[in-house]
Amino acid sequence: MDLLDFARGPALQVAAYILVAGVLWRLVGILMLKEKPEFSEPRKPGGFMAALKVIYTRSFTAAPFKRATLYPKMLAYVLHIGFFAVIFLFVPHIVFFEGFLGFDWPGLPNNVIYLSGVAAVVAGLALLVRRLTDPVLRLISNFDDYFSWFVTILPILTGLIMPVRMGVRYETLLAIHILSVAVLMIWLPFGKLGHTFLVFVTRGTTGMVFERRGAKT
Amino acid sequence: MTLKDPIRSPIPFSRGNVRPLLNEIIHALDRLLDDDEPTVIDLASLPFAPGELEELEQTLGTGELTAELDALGKSFIRETEYPGVWWVEHHNTGGEVVGRYIEITRSPEILMSQDADVGAGRARLRDSFENSGPELNKEAGK
Amino acid sequence: MKTIPTLGDILQAQGVSRRGFMKYCAATASLLALPPAMVPRIAQALEQARRPSVIWLSFQECTGCTESLTRSSSPTLEGLIFDSISLDYHHTLQAASGDAAEAARHAAMEENMGQYLVLVDGSIPMGNPGFSTIAGISNYDMLMETVEGAAAVVAIGSCAAFGGIPGANPNPTGAVSVQDLVKDKPVVNVPGCPPIPMVITAVLAQFLTFGQLPELDIHGRPVAFFGQTIHDRCYRRPFYEQGKFAETFDDEGARKGWCLFKLGCKGPITYNACATVKWNAGTSFPIESGHPCLGCSEPGFWDKGGFYAPLSTGNFGSGGKLAGAAVAGVALGAAAAVAGRRRQAKYTKEA
Repeated sequence: MDLLDFARGPALQVAAYILVAGVLWRLVGILMLKEKPEFSEPRKPGGFMAALKVIYTRSFTAAPFKRATLYPKMLAYVLHIGFFAVIFLFVPHIVFFEGFLGFDWPGLPNNVIYLSGVAAVVAGLALLVRRLTDPVLRLISNFDDYFSWFVTILPILTGLIMPVRMGVRYETLLAIHILSVAVLMIWLPFGKLGHTFLVFVTRGTTGMVFERRGAKT
Repeated sequence: MTLKDPIRSPIPFSRGNVRPLLNEIIHALDRLLDDDEPTVIDLASLPFAPGELEELEQTLGTGELTAELDALGKSFIRETEYPGVWWVEHHNTGGEVVGRYIEITRSPEILMSQDADVGAGRARLRDSFENSGPELNKEAGK
Repeated sequence: MKTIPTLGDILQAQGVSRRGFMKYCAATASLLALPPAMVPRIAQALEQARRPSVIWLSFQECTGCTESLTRSSSPTLEGLIFDSISLDYHHTLQAASGDAAEAARHAAMEENMGQYLVLVDGSIPMGNPGFSTIAGISNYDMLMETVEGAAAVVAIGSCAAFGGIPGANPNPTGAVSVQDLVKDKPVVNVPGCPPIPMVITAVLAQFLTFGQLPELDIHGRPVAFFGQTIHDRCYRRPFYEQGKFAETFDDEGARKGWCLFKLGCKGPITYNACATVKWNAGTSFPIESGHPCLGCSEPGFWDKGGFYAPLSTGNFGSGGKLAGAAVAGVALGAAAAVAGRRRQAKYTKEA
């Protein structure tokens, strides 16, 4: 079995098991916790609609913080949108999803995807530089912050190198790319990358509680 | 005079190989005129899409001179519509194409009589001349 | 050792003119993917080249490689046999059989000790020598005996080069490749199922012309023909880049000649000359005819997850195992929640 067979086979398989188990572990572990009892009178209904509302409104910075957070926010949007475009709108990736979802969707031309990938990596590097140079961020950053950054950027970077080759054979680059995705899949449920599925839970919970208490959402 | 491939691809598709090739030929003609330097382009080395080779052949067309060579199978050498640009196609004894070239030259090398062949032919002619001599003399002396 | 006539001697004796020889050299240059400027050097080398003896051993094979070679147009196989090489042993093509054939093989080996080429097609079974024998001799014995005095060995076809279809899962005969067994002689792999005929003869022509073997890649394949992937030379590549793919075999995209990636094309990881040299004297190749590349010149191509499974699909294992992982996750989560609740209750009580 060569590296590519290993990457496409056992590596992805194990990564998939860990991803599924890990995500469910955290989700169930959190959702099954007891709700803190609310003793005050509800000002507004709260509930599920409030949860949905806040998931949406938290995407926009509150007015007092807008100026200070503009730069990292722009970078973060470029990173996220670029990342999603690369994952979900690149046809070979769509084919990958079709393999286990059973349906597909239209994609974008390769050069558009490549541009998105480059933009995502550049934004990611800028964010890392910020994290390393801003004194506060530097103080509070830990292994999770840096490692999560690394396992996110690595798949994009390895994907960008593939058409360029840089003297390496294509099947080797493909194997490394798939392995980097496997690493991302394995780490995702456990660090701050868990925000992928938890952001909806956290924002939703905040929304339900705040709305009930009449706070601004 | 060309041997058409018996099986045609149904989807003619331009991959844009013809235009750059024509440009290359123009530059080769420059070199021929300025420096008397010939150029040979091996068409087998180029990844033509279906229909592009035919397109190239049609674009270059046929000029004033066509030659057919019979050595280890047929070869077809013709000057295209553009003087100095020659289309050379080699076939083997089975009629299959073994080489296709565009030569930008005053005259493809293979059209010239080769030293070895001239030498061998001269030897044959001399032999035939010498052998027929005494008989003629005999006839004359009859 | 008997004196071997040069190719120049042979062609002259056959009355081939200098023009004919020039044609032959031009065709050889084209075959070796060398620039036309090299033709004079080829002419010089060929004139002095000696006609090597070639012994062809066929083991666990389907004879497709020999069939492919007999379709080779440049030079023709007959021409190759009589003009360029002395094919002293070949099951399908030789007139002799039985003891006479084996005697011919031994005679050729003795007369050309250290100088003959051994060509092999088919894999060698190591599970039980009885799986494949010739004149009562096992493939392994015949191979090791014959390569002893060889100048070089050429493994023709994916079976000889990598084990091929006999070597595919579950490999019931214990099939191995030539390079697995021959360690002390130079081995050139010319894989493909079958290989492009011109490529086979090009390797022989290279040996004949320059007396040396071509530059090889990490799998022992001539770089001249196996140095680029199909994907990098495919005329349908612009469609790949534009995101235009055929979804099924007869849909609109397929009829327009769009990229076959979604139909399982292994072009990106397959190194071969099909996209440029093509098949049947440059007529077409699988992708041009509408079928995705199988990757037949790569090791283990039969076991790469299916010819019609796109290259970017993963193999996630059975749904059952994933469901098992899901259950495990839920269980862990529930356990964590129970522990969490206990902690919550404790704090609430303390408060």
